Amino acid sequence: MNELFDKVKKNLIWKSVFRRDYRNTVRDRALAIFGNVFLHLHPVKVRESAVKLRYTWGMGGITFFAFIILTITGIVLMFYYHPTVNLAYEDMKDLEFQVPYGVISRNLHRWAAHFMVIVVMIHMFRVFMTGSYKAPRQFNWGIGVILLVLTFLLSFTGYLLPWDQLGFWAITVGTNMGAATPLLGYQGPFSEYLHITPYNDVRFALLGGATVAGNALLRSYIWHCIAIPVIALILMVVHFWRVRKDGGISRPQSN
Amino acid sequence: MNPFIKIITQPDNIAIVIMIFMVSFFMVWAFQQALRNDKLRLTGYAVEGELDNDVDTYKPLVRIEMIISLVVMVGLTIWSVWVDAPLEEIANPTITPNPAKAPWYFLGLQELLVYFDPWLAGVVLPTLIIVGLLAIPYIDINPKGNGYYTFSERKYAILTFSFGFFILWLLLIVIGVFFRGPGWLWYWPWQEWDTQRVVFEPTRDLSSMIGIDSRSWGGFIVGMVVVCGYFVAGMVAPYKYFKKKCPEFLEQLGMTRYLITAFLFVTMMSIPIKMVLRLVFLVKYIWIIWFVPGGLNF
Amino acid sequence: MENENNKKASLRGYIFAILSVVLLGLSAWVIWDDEFGLRPWKNYQQEYKSLKRDKLEKEYQQALIDFKTSGDAKKLADLEQQLKQAQDNFKKKEVHERYLQVTARLNDLKRKVDENQKAMQMVRGQYLEVEYYFTKGQKPADKVRMDALQKQIDSIDKASKAFQAQLAPLQQEQLTLMGDIPAIEAQIEALKKPLAEKKERIANNESAPIEIRQRMINDANKADRCESCHAGIEDTRQVTTKHPYSKHPLSFVYLGNHDPSKFGCTFCHRGQGRATTTIEKAHGNVHYWEEPLLKGGMTQTSCLNCHGDIKNLRGAEHINQSTELIRKYGCYSCHKIPGYEGMGDVGPELTRVGTKVNYSWAVNWLKDPKKYSSTARMPKFFFTQEQAESVADYLFSMSGTTRHDVDYMSETPDEKLVEQGKVLWSQARCNLCHVTSGRGGNHVKMYAPELSKVGGKVNKTWLFNWIKNPNEYYPGTRMPQFTFTDQEIKGLVEYMVSEFTDDEAEMNYTTPQPINAASIKKGKDIIQQYGCYGCHKIEGMEMVQVAPSLKAQGVTFLKNDEMREKIGTELTSIGSKPVEMLDFGKMKKNITNDRMSYLKQKLRDPRSFRLGLRMPNFRLSEKEVNELAGVLYGFTDANVPTRFLVPSKAEIDKMANVAPYQFTGDFAKVVKTVKCTNCHSIKGIGADYAPDLTFAGSKLQESWMRGFLANPDVIRPLLQQMPNLGLKSASVKTKITMPRFNLNKQIVQDTNKSDVDVVVNYFQQELLSPDIPKTIPVVSDIGMEQQLAAGKQLYEQKGCIVCHQIGADGGAIGPNLSNVGNRLNPGFIFVHLENPRKFKPDIVEPRYGFTERERILLTNYLMTLKLTNSDANKK
Repeated sequence: MNELFDKVKKNLIWKSVFRRDYRNTVRDRALAIFGNVFLHLHPVKVRESAVKLRYTWGMGGITFFAFIILTITGIVLMFYYHPTVNLAYEDMKDLEFQVPYGVISRNLHRWAAHFMVIVVMIHMFRVFMTGSYKAPRQFNWGIGVILLVLTFLLSFTGYLLPWDQLGFWAITVGTNMGAATPLLGYQGPFSEYLHITPYNDVRFALLGGATVAGNALLRSYIWHCIAIPVIALILMVVHFWRVRKDGGISRPQSN
Repeated sequence: MNPFIKIITQPDNIAIVIMIFMVSFFMVWAFQQALRNDKLRLTGYAVEGELDNDVDTYKPLVRIEMIISLVVMVGLTIWSVWVDAPLEEIANPTITPNPAKAPWYFLGLQELLVYFDPWLAGVVLPTLIIVGLLAIPYIDINPKGNGYYTFSERKYAILTFSFGFFILWLLLIVIGVFFRGPGWLWYWPWQEWDTQRVVFEPTRDLSSMIGIDSRSWGGFIVGMVVVCGYFVAGMVAPYKYFKKKCPEFLEQLGMTRYLITAFLFVTMMSIPIKMVLRLVFLVKYIWIIWFVPGGLNF
Repeated sequence: MENENNKKASLRGYIFAILSVVLLGLSAWVIWDDEFGLRPWKNYQQEYKSLKRDKLEKEYQQALIDFKTSGDAKKLADLEQQLKQAQDNFKKKEVHERYLQVTARLNDLKRKVDENQKAMQMVRGQYLEVEYYFTKGQKPADKVRMDALQKQIDSIDKASKAFQAQLAPLQQEQLTLMGDIPAIEAQIEALKKPLAEKKERIANNESAPIEIRQRMINDANKADRCESCHAGIEDTRQVTTKHPYSKHPLSFVYLGNHDPSKFGCTFCHRGQGRATTTIEKAHGNVHYWEEPLLKGGMTQTSCLNCHGDIKNLRGAEHINQSTELIRKYGCYSCHKIPGYEGMGDVGPELTRVGTKVNYSWAVNWLKDPKKYSSTARMPKFFFTQEQAESVADYLFSMSGTTRHDVDYMSETPDEKLVEQGKVLWSQARCNLCHVTSGRGGNHVKMYAPELSKVGGKVNKTWLFNWIKNPNEYYPGTRMPQFTFTDQEIKGLVEYMVSEFTDDEAEMNYTTPQPINAASIKKGKDIIQQYGCYGCHKIEGMEMVQVAPSLKAQGVTFLKNDEMREKIGTELTSIGSKPVEMLDFGKMKKNITNDRMSYLKQKLRDPRSFRLGLRMPNFRLSEKEVNELAGVLYGFTDANVPTRFLVPSKAEIDKMANVAPYQFTGDFAKVVKTVKCTNCHSIKGIGADYAPDLTFAGSKLQESWMRGFLANPDVIRPLLQQMPNLGLKSASVKTKITMPRFNLNKQIVQDTNKSDVDVVVNYFQQELLSPDIPKTIPVVSDIGMEQQLAAGKQLYEQKGCIVCHQIGADGGAIGPNLSNVGNRLNPGFIFVHLENPRKFKPDIVEPRYGFTERERILLTNYLMTLKLTNSDANKK
């Protein structure tokens, strides 16, 4: 058995992947972190308090993990979905009744989305409670707030995609707010001065039309699947980078 | 089925129930740790984490991360196998469901529509929320409480934030989900939702309470006096107070920062005040600027 | 040094391990669930497969036994013996050697043909390339090459043809050498074929995949997966009656006319076609699916989606019968219903009702019509005494009369007149439409008023004028004008008034009383509120009938039905109205909240939902409620692809700008007075109660027509509407015939013809079919005597006697044929025997598949069946 292990470990392929044996020395533990593209987001050494669940609640990490789950299930769902008025709802039905693992993919996507919204709010609460937005992390808090808003928008744009009554009216109610924007919404104050009508106001820009219809569905789809995830991903990179550059997880300054 | 069970077991609402439990749990945990740290500080000990050493990232942190990922994955999988994502009838622009609700995380804002016009509740206030959140690090000049849970060292900040977060955001969401039924009427959990229900509740404007037509110049002036008076008083009074009690704090804060902070705070407090006026005194508008096209009403 | 607490580390290791196992287990669960839990149709298909296997095996075993017992086995042995002999012959040395030689030469030739073909391909390829360059460059050199290549092609082609020519004789010789072998082998094959086919079916069943079976209708975005569980629905042979595997009932009608690959299932049956996970979801009996499955006869409601005309539509009998209820109760009078525009008033004209009926009767009738007559169609409006009086006051004042009653109970009738009237009453067959004391009223779709108590309702003057000329009082009436003399009518009136008395009639106004104006005003308001003008023509109601939009355009008078403002809800798409838009009111807790329950409750008790509703109660029977709700359920705005639509003839005519058929000349006048189309259908106009007369001119003999019109006699002995024919012996005696209209007595104005002449002329000129020949082919190889004998033999052989009567013998389902030789034209009989459903699709008579010769013989025989005058007199 051990012989087999040795043989595998001396194999060229094994070596090319793992480079060296792990011997549990300081050097090896450090190498394990910065030798790995995923793990090297972390510093080699962290403060003990940063490891404690009691302090961070792991909420930031869970949010990111939920984002990963959503990306994977989202890609699976995209294979079976057409963002058109005729087909969107039927595709949902097909996901439920015919597509292999369609039910679990859609359920996971939906519940992970709700979960992410909840967790991201708790993350903000934790960061506030530990005063982690204070110097030198003010900017990163700002990034975080924008990420929070993006999370809401991701969920909101995804709501319309099944093209059912629930999503349709949720989006109708939501975007009708846009019509009330001062100056730029046709129902908002002052908009008359700018000759704003239902056909050139903010809501029109959001929906690609005066009502929620095919264009709104396509816009939702593109915001949901491409635009917002890309923006969020870029901001996440900045967010994580700044966590490290601003001195890692916040902790009491030693007096 | 019992209406209460029926509403909390709706697939999408299960998420809200989970949120209520998670938020309450973490709220308690946060304040518990804050109070313990305060006690430690009071007795002269170091707060938690102050004397920590470095540890290797590999494996302690990585291991915890993996475990958390697994817990989340297991939890979500069970949730997904157990509850199916909802799918209602195909979208039909001619049939408006009653109630037509926004996604749950925006129900707080939708609830505000009862008290404010859409341009305020749907546009101005959300914008101010985001601006306010972004401004927090820059207006909170208290250097204490960075990196540990504490309450006594940042009482004002924590109370304000908690009020906004728990009451104005989360509680309104819960109300929007569980207590608002057809016609956006209030339903207790044991009441059956009824699309035919009619509630006659005449509302009035503030100035008409003292006999002045709210859509006249007189009403306009009364409204303007009340609204502007509220903002001016709300911003000036604390200033006087601080000037007398701790002028050095005010100096440190600076005039700009003070004005922004005070404006945001007074605006936030205007929400519960308007809610009370609307619910208790049935006041619809305080100030109607009737000559603005599209209506600019507070 | 790893600065992590070791104990903690190993604990975390365990947690990690346990969680990994849990997640693995969960994944396995998810996989299992997806493979089996969410795919219950797999089990259904397995079970169907095994049921089918059992059935096919059984059939195969039976076929094997039959094969042995029927002598086929012996035949097979003989053939095999012959085959062996033939093969022995073939194996003889000189034959076999010759065969090998021929085969070798044949193979050689075939190889050469192949080679030629390959060469040809090469040259052709080159030719095409050169041709391309030549077309593009126009260089003479290319043209030269092309010609050279063309020559090569020609020569190869020639060689090929030469080889082909050599092939044929060789192949012929090869066959001759083989002797009988191919023939015998073919016979053996044919003998074994039925068994082989059965075996193949078993194998096909075994290899059928277990998979989702769906019918995709792309232009309607449908994917009907019903057959994933209903695996045998499209089978032509029943495998099992076990649910859900049986074949579609009447599938030759439903599936035969609606190819499932084009129509799917849910167009007719509704339900959720895409769903496969549970029965409830698939059948659409779940929240968020508005269209639950339609089962059984209810499914016919879907016929209305596509078929413009369901009269005579095979498979739509149930819904056709139900739609009659809309006509019966005149739903279209208050509700807009597509296809029922311009139907005319369902109730009689009330403009002069004060001159017709007693005031007390009118008040009681308004309060509760069913109390007066159980067959009354008028609904109950729940009027109070005062309200009913107000309405009556309005109507009577508009007729220019006062509150008055006429009581004939005290008078002694003129016995002689009564006796005359009684004879006339039965001679004219009044009971055919009118019910008196539970008798008569065979023509159920006529809805003629019950006359049992008419003596307490109307006055004699009115009744006299009415019988004399019904059109004068009410131009839209269905009552025909009988050509009675004044004296006859007097007798009839006397008879009716004295015979059909109303013992319970109130007579409060035998001394007339004036009507007070306030009551009239109130009555007008009530009539407007409840929309009485929807069913009745009422004086002074013309203004309110004009739609507001038209009023705005300055139209103030009523021109036709389409301008009417319908008082009730539009019913055009009631069958797909979202449940949320139905107001259940206080019934919300009492009935299930779905569309069907709502419709039924609305029909059963229209005002039960809340206060202030106006729809009256028709007091429908539960059967009628179900039928009518079924029809309403079919009024949908379903998105049907236009390729499915089958417009009615009227719609097609309208699209093609063809004016609907109209009767012309004197015949039109006759139809207007005698109302032929009450019972007969002529060119699509009229009812289906009596025989269709569209081709009567080709079908009937002139002399018979004349005789029948003047003196109608029984032809058909049975109620056609009775479904379980021949089961109740009592009802067999019911005779249906035409009323005696006393035709032939009157000369139609302007021309010098009697009305019988007019009818017969019209039949012979207009009502002809190009498919019915004037004469029939002749059989010339045997004499007439023999032909008649053969025809008679056929008549007996084919069992015609079971349904038809000749003389006193035979059944009573089909028409009596005793006098058929006088009645029908031979051409009609000849064509009718070929396909009885040709002219009347719902006829009972089966299609026997007679040969032309048989049809000639039968026709000739039938044409000899004639009653002489003496026979008729005997009868």
